[in-house]
Amino acid sequence: MLNYVWIGLIVIGIFAAVGNDLKDDLRNTYRNGESLKATVLVEKTPSALQESWEGEMVIPANDFNEFYGVTSAAKEIRLPVKITTATTGESSLLLNVNTAAPEPWRTMAKNATSKDNLTGTLRSIRFEEEGKRALVEIVFEPIRFVKIRAVTQATLDYASTAVNIALGLIGIMALWLGVMKVAEEAGMIRIVTRLLTPVTKRLFPEVPPDHPAVGSIVMNLAANMLGLSNAATPMGLKAMEELNKLNPKLGTATNAMCTFLVINTSGLVLIPATAIAVRAAAGSANPGMIIGTSIFGASCATIAGLIAVKLLQRMPRFKKDDPDLQRTAEGAMRKEEANG
Amino acid sequence: MADIFKTVITLVSIVAIPLLIFLFLGWGFVKKVKVYEVFVEGAKDGFHTAVRIIPYLVAMLFAIGIFRASGAMELLVSLLSPVTNLIGMPAETLPMALMRPLSGSGSLGIMTELMKVHGPDSFIGVLASTMYGSTETTFYVLAVYFGSVQVKNTRHALPAGLIADLFGMLGAVFICRVLFGI
Repeated sequence: MLNYVWIGLIVIGIFAAVGNDLKDDLRNTYRNGESLKATVLVEKTPSALQESWEGEMVIPANDFNEFYGVTSAAKEIRLPVKITTATTGESSLLLNVNTAAPEPWRTMAKNATSKDNLTGTLRSIRFEEEGKRALVEIVFEPIRFVKIRAVTQATLDYASTAVNIALGLIGIMALWLGVMKVAEEAGMIRIVTRLLTPVTKRLFPEVPPDHPAVGSIVMNLAANMLGLSNAATPMGLKAMEELNKLNPKLGTATNAMCTFLVINTSGLVLIPATAIAVRAAAGSANPGMIIGTSIFGASCATIAGLIAVKLLQRMPRFKKDDPDLQRTAEGAMRKEEANG
Repeated sequence: MADIFKTVITLVSIVAIPLLIFLFLGWGFVKKVKVYEVFVEGAKDGFHTAVRIIPYLVAMLFAIGIFRASGAMELLVSLLSPVTNLIGMPAETLPMALMRPLSGSGSLGIMTELMKVHGPDSFIGVLASTMYGSTETTFYVLAVYFGSVQVKNTRHALPAGLIADLFGMLGAVFICRVLFGI
């Protein structure tokens, strides 16, 4: 299943990128080759001999929206611009696209030859009002393959993000594994395990009730519920390691491992701290009002996940790989051989 | 009532980590465990566990990265929007529901954007934040947890996790419509 979903993400992603770029080309989303009329305000009139001069480009929002067929510009656009005249007499322009610039300019600037700047050539230039204003017609550099480039960048970025996340885990992992080891030696984990045996026995029938895995599972779930993700992940990985000790076929997930994972992916948290923080930052009158609704949603997820995991493990296509069943089958065969 | 609940839980989660460390290490000391030596012994595995996860996490995240960067999400949204309209889920929150299992940072971005546009206390704002709190980043959790024990054949874990996500999203839509519905 994971194989299909994984290759699906990659193939659909690449096809969608190519498709989106073709669409942009056919619709000419970035108006490659078309000229846009704009006004450039200058402080001091540039002399004819001057190689380059700077000013402020002004485009009314309506003109911009009409030209690109968008609604992104809300007010008049004003951006710093630099105009250079080459010896051949051809003028080019460098537009500084800052965060105030509307789309599609920001996307265009991201894919332009010089980062955060759009370059273009001037078709015409005419000075007005004693040289304080220049009416210009600009053709920006052609922008193509936006999504394909984004995909390329994403593969590199995400690969290194993955490594950073994993390395970031080292310290916190070491800390909690150390604490857990002390707790284990002191018999603390065994006490936690015994307290919750009635629950864990039903959820993980494959795991012996006094196995150290149960203690780690319980502590992971408790830490998750309290939203202590820094402590929950190391405890969860410790639990996985303990569950793996019961796994007769390394590399394949046991039923207990799948059950444990689904409880974790359902993410039942008593206080969804991140969502509350974002709501508060956005100026909510009552950031905490989603606590109840989130607990309800996550409970639905947890219950549905547990039912699904218990039903799916009986399906032939998942059952045939069950490491526990294979062990008993092999064991039975060996016993027969010994008897025969 | 809700306020008391919130205060208690917040308090518990603030003191939990120092308290746990104190209890576990203190109890170990009382039980005459050589605390420092045993701690270091356990902590030794931290590095290996983290490093073991790397290939699994790279495989998972770069596939998700391609999917996110390509604009395939908009395609999926337009395909699925007739279905979500039927159950009364605003089309604006569909990217949130689809992104939640794939990427934590991605869904956080969508939630923030939705709140900026529609306001945090609007129906869409409340629903988006409820969705965010209703499930975890399934693909990430799967890669990290199974990666740490080198499990490659994940069997039914992913379908079960995705079913959990689906019901988490449906539950979020249901409860928000009942409590704050229009």
